[in-house]
Order: sequence, then C-alpha cells, then structure tokens
Amino acid sequence: MKVFSSGCTFNYSWDEVSTANWRKYCPWNDKSTHVVGVDTLSRTVDPSTGILRTERLITCNQSVPQWVLSLLGGTNTSHVYEVSYVDPVAKKVTMCSTNLTWSNVLSVRETVVYRQSPIDPATTTEFTQEAKITALCGGWQKIKNKVEEASVDRFRENAKIGREGFETVLEMSRRVFGEQRELEKQRL
Amino acid sequence: MAASIAPECNDIKEKYDTCFLKWYSEKYLRGNTSSNDCEELFKKYKGCLNKVLKERGIDVMVEDARKSGSSETDAEFLKKS
Repeated sequence: MKVFSSGCTFNYSWDEVSTANWRKYCPWNDKSTHVVGVDTLSRTVDPSTGILRTERLITCNQSVPQWVLSLLGGTNTSHVYEVSYVDPVAKKVTMCSTNLTWSNVLSVRETVVYRQSPIDPATTTEFTQEAKITALCGGWQKIKNKVEEASVDRFRENAKIGREGFETVLEMSRRVFGEQRELEKQRL
Repeated sequence: MAASIAPECNDIKEKYDTCFLKWYSEKYLRGNTSSNDCEELFKKYKGCLNKVLKERGIDVMVEDARKSGSSETDAEFLKKS
C-alpha cells in the first residue's frame, strides 16, 4: 500500500468552501475537464445530528498510460463512488471515495476533509486529503509496486490541478453570490 | 454545474442541482436542516438516472462499493461531533 497525503488552507469561510464544493466540477473549473459526470445517488439529513449524507457517482475520462491499460483492461472511462458527510455544527465536510472501475486489481480510497480553521475560523478553511492506494493483483511485487507508484504520481498531479481549479470556482462563487446579494438589495 | 453521465437526465439534473444549492446555502447552512424543498425534483432525476445506471451495469458496482465500505464511514462520520 502507498499513501498520498496533502493539505492546504483556503482563504474563504467554511460556508463558502462547503457551498462551492458542490460545484467543484462545473464549467468554471477549466482544470477538471477529465471529470465528465457528477451524479447524485442519494441524499439524506440525519434528524438527530443534522448531518447531511450524500452519495455521488463521479465519472472521469482520462488518459491512462498504455501499459496500465494493457495490464488492467482497456477503457479510459472510470467511475468513483463518493459518500460525503456535512456536519453543520462542527463546520466540517468529510468526503470518502473509492474507485469502482478496476476495483478487482487496484483499491484507491481517498478521504478529503474541509474544516473551519482553528486559527482564523471566520475567513479561512483547512483542507486535508489522504489517499490509500493498494494494488490487489496477485503475483509479482515488482508489478504491484509499479502500479501503486504510477497511481500515486497521477494522484499528486491531479491534487495540484484540483486545488488550482477549486480556487477558480471559489473566486467565481464569491463574485456571483456578491452580485446576487447586490441585486436583492436593489430590489428591496 | 457538472453534467450527468446520462445526457437525457441533464435537464432535470440541472433543475435539481440548482434547487439543492439554493436550499444548502440559504436554509441548511442557516440551521434549517429539516426542510426538504427539492424532494420532488430529486425523485424525477433519480428515476431518470437509475434506468441508465442499470442499463450500463453501474448499479451493481455501486451496490458492491456500498457493501464494502460505507457502513464503516457512516459509523465514523454520522455521529454527533
């Protein structure tokens, strides 16, 4: 198993980040063109805690190295199953995702957390990401290591691109929400 | 908002997503967590989507993932903080 982890701070409130998070993969995010579909499978609010639980199916279309394709079988479309939990009291979002495609040979489990920063809770949000990648194919350790390393490399690249893309979405969301508020004020 | 995996569901999905985002930012985050303004739209969207997931065999993959992991994360993240 290999573990990839990263983290950063966004200079936006948790309310803004957790709202924008729902449209992370929208046309404003020109960095995530590999995500071709985001579908909501279920959504419930726990009546005793107020925690919002959402299941989503995320569909990606990204180029996979040829040697991986010949090893794992040939398709560039992959599906990810994600369960997320929004705790509105603790101001924390946790998103747990796992790969549906190639799941018999490779297990990728990612946990992403957005939480109100303890240092500056009103204006900043902390982001952490951890992925556990395990090659499941029987046989040579060498090949398993190679598959895991390639997956971690891809994860690292996507994490950086993902962060840049999300910054754009945050900026656009703030602008659009600001404009809406202005319009509403004028109407009053 | 992002597209649906099923192009025929895009219209209803967009209506639902818009409704949800409004509910989330204007009600849910302000403490009104029990309202469910978008239930009807979600039902229609799910009806459209589930057909496609079944046709493409994705429903089985999702069911497997549910079985193998989500009860663990539910136990950890659905509790009161």
